[in-house]
Amino acid sequence: MLWIQECANEGGITITQLLEVTNLSVSYHTYAGEVQSVRGISFDVKEGETLAIVGESGCGKSVTARSIMGLIKPPIGEIKLSSEIRYRGKNILTFTSKEWAYYRGGESSIIFQDALTALNPTMTIGDQITENIFAHEKISKKAAVERATGLLEQVGIPDASKKLKSYPHQLSGGMRQRVMIAIAFACNPKLLIADEPTTALDVTIQAQILDMIRSLQVKKNTSVMLITHDLGIVANIASRVIIMYSGRIVERGSSDDIFYHPKHPYTIALLRAIPKLTDKSKEKLYSIEGRPPDLLDPPKGCPFAARCPYCMNVCVEANPESFDFGLGHTASCWLHHSQAPKVEWSI
Amino acid sequence: MLIYTFRRLAEMILTLFIIATATFFLLAAVPGDPISDRVEKLPTQIRHNMYAKYGLNKPLLQRYVITMKGLAVGNFGESIIYPGQTVQSILHDKLPASARLGIQQMVLGITIGLGLGIIAAMKKNTWIDYSIITAAILLISIPHLIFGLLLQKMFAGNLGWFPVIGWPKGKDLWTGGWEYTILPTLTGCFAYIASYTRLLKTSMLDVVNQDYILTAESKGISKARVVLKHVLRNSMIPIITNLPMSIAMCITGSFFIERIFSIPGIGMYYVTSVNGRDLPLIMGQTVIISAIYVTVIFITDVLYTIVDPRIQIQGGRK
Repeated sequence: MLWIQECANEGGITITQLLEVTNLSVSYHTYAGEVQSVRGISFDVKEGETLAIVGESGCGKSVTARSIMGLIKPPIGEIKLSSEIRYRGKNILTFTSKEWAYYRGGESSIIFQDALTALNPTMTIGDQITENIFAHEKISKKAAVERATGLLEQVGIPDASKKLKSYPHQLSGGMRQRVMIAIAFACNPKLLIADEPTTALDVTIQAQILDMIRSLQVKKNTSVMLITHDLGIVANIASRVIIMYSGRIVERGSSDDIFYHPKHPYTIALLRAIPKLTDKSKEKLYSIEGRPPDLLDPPKGCPFAARCPYCMNVCVEANPESFDFGLGHTASCWLHHSQAPKVEWSI
Repeated sequence: MLIYTFRRLAEMILTLFIIATATFFLLAAVPGDPISDRVEKLPTQIRHNMYAKYGLNKPLLQRYVITMKGLAVGNFGESIIYPGQTVQSILHDKLPASARLGIQQMVLGITIGLGLGIIAAMKKNTWIDYSIITAAILLISIPHLIFGLLLQKMFAGNLGWFPVIGWPKGKDLWTGGWEYTILPTLTGCFAYIASYTRLLKTSMLDVVNQDYILTAESKGISKARVVLKHVLRNSMIPIITNLPMSIAMCITGSFFIERIFSIPGIGMYYVTSVNGRDLPLIMGQTVIISAIYVTVIFITDVLYTIVDPRIQIQGGRK
């Protein structure tokens, strides 16, 4: 635990890399065989930034989030030995249970998709918030309750001191997600993982929740890892975006790079799939044909090859290397190889 | 809550009334009558007197009214196969021994069962889990009749630690004479241990996979706290559902144990009354046991609302 405090006290040197994930591979062992959910991904989260991880269901984005929170449980889940997740320079995969207790909830926290199932139904929300505070600070009961009340007010729950005694089922869906956010921010974490925080909510409430996460993030200088399948909500929020497909990162770059200069056919297909109000034609909404590959037996080539309109022979044979377009914008696609034909595309 | 209690009380009385009525007419529907085999060789006048004594010469509906009136004031009538004893005096004498045995078995069995269930769930898929569950299945498969005899042979016969048979009497009825109660309690509690271990383990494994357990773990609280504060309470619903069934089992299921250890309990009377068609005794026991049962169901319904706030009592205001 000392190491974290030491790092934090190094006032002179600014540490920009809060979290560095290197070659993370996670498998689930099922009766059908080994499902390779995440296959060697590397990325980092800088202090105070918002990083979005986008991909469709089953692409490994939630598994990545759970790995960072230490919620992958052996023997069913397995993080491969070559993986490294460095938090402030220390590999969390080698944490002792004491270090985990310090890190989880205090340094990092997570918001799940469905707050109804993510909140304990038999515990008052007040207890669920203060539980997080007590786990990390020596604080009197009265002070903890006061802080919980303050947190609920910050996340926009009216009549906060009364609501502390409510149970999750007595609140609406939006209110429950606000409670989840209050729990997550209870100990001012440095890293917040938001795993599809608005998927289960009404569109009108989605924006409120995202705004709130954003304002709390700015206030507390928290790094946010926003995991979503909805590129639409990413644009205003994230500074950097990672596109995942079938357990791999296929493209990464700044928000502008991804939205205005996408380099991977999958990213382009995702962008096309966002319905546009200006589109007056009576055609069907755009969808990507086919299904993602079976991760029990992942293809040796590019995972997107089977659904890609520009698929070449090499795509099926070998997984593409990562091509760099400068300023951290990379895409793993053979189309950018010097010998590949030039393809024109529009979004 | 008060309104609810009164409503439930009324429902319980109605239930008992229906049970008593059904039992009465079912017994009446059986051909013959309870005393015919006993009185057939007696002179006619004496036979008539016997029928008159038990009211069997009266029309059925009149007998029903008399019986129900008696039940309402707690007068169950005189036993037929134990002449000279009223049913209430038999219940008063014999029920406490059975009740103490049943309560001890349940408290010990459920406590150990829940403890082992927690261990088995936490050590899932290890040898600890496997041995607990194997032992539970073995224990539930062996009749407690055999257990009783084995325990008697071992601890009373060979080692001589406890008396072979007997039961505390007089002022020791409820709190003394522990040495007599240990072997019968052990004999009966294995069945509870086995069923509650398996029940709690299954229920806990189901809860462990819920999302809110991930939330709890992501708060950095200790494993013990996750289990005690989050897993256990949410695993309790099936346990509470099972409780009335256990109580029914402990009232009726101790017959063998009471025989093996010569315990002056109600179990034997329950069996002989049915064999001997002792109408008053059957009625009395049925009503008493039903009353205990509906009370326990009422208590478990209230327990549900305490354990799970999502379950609300209807007709009551918070």
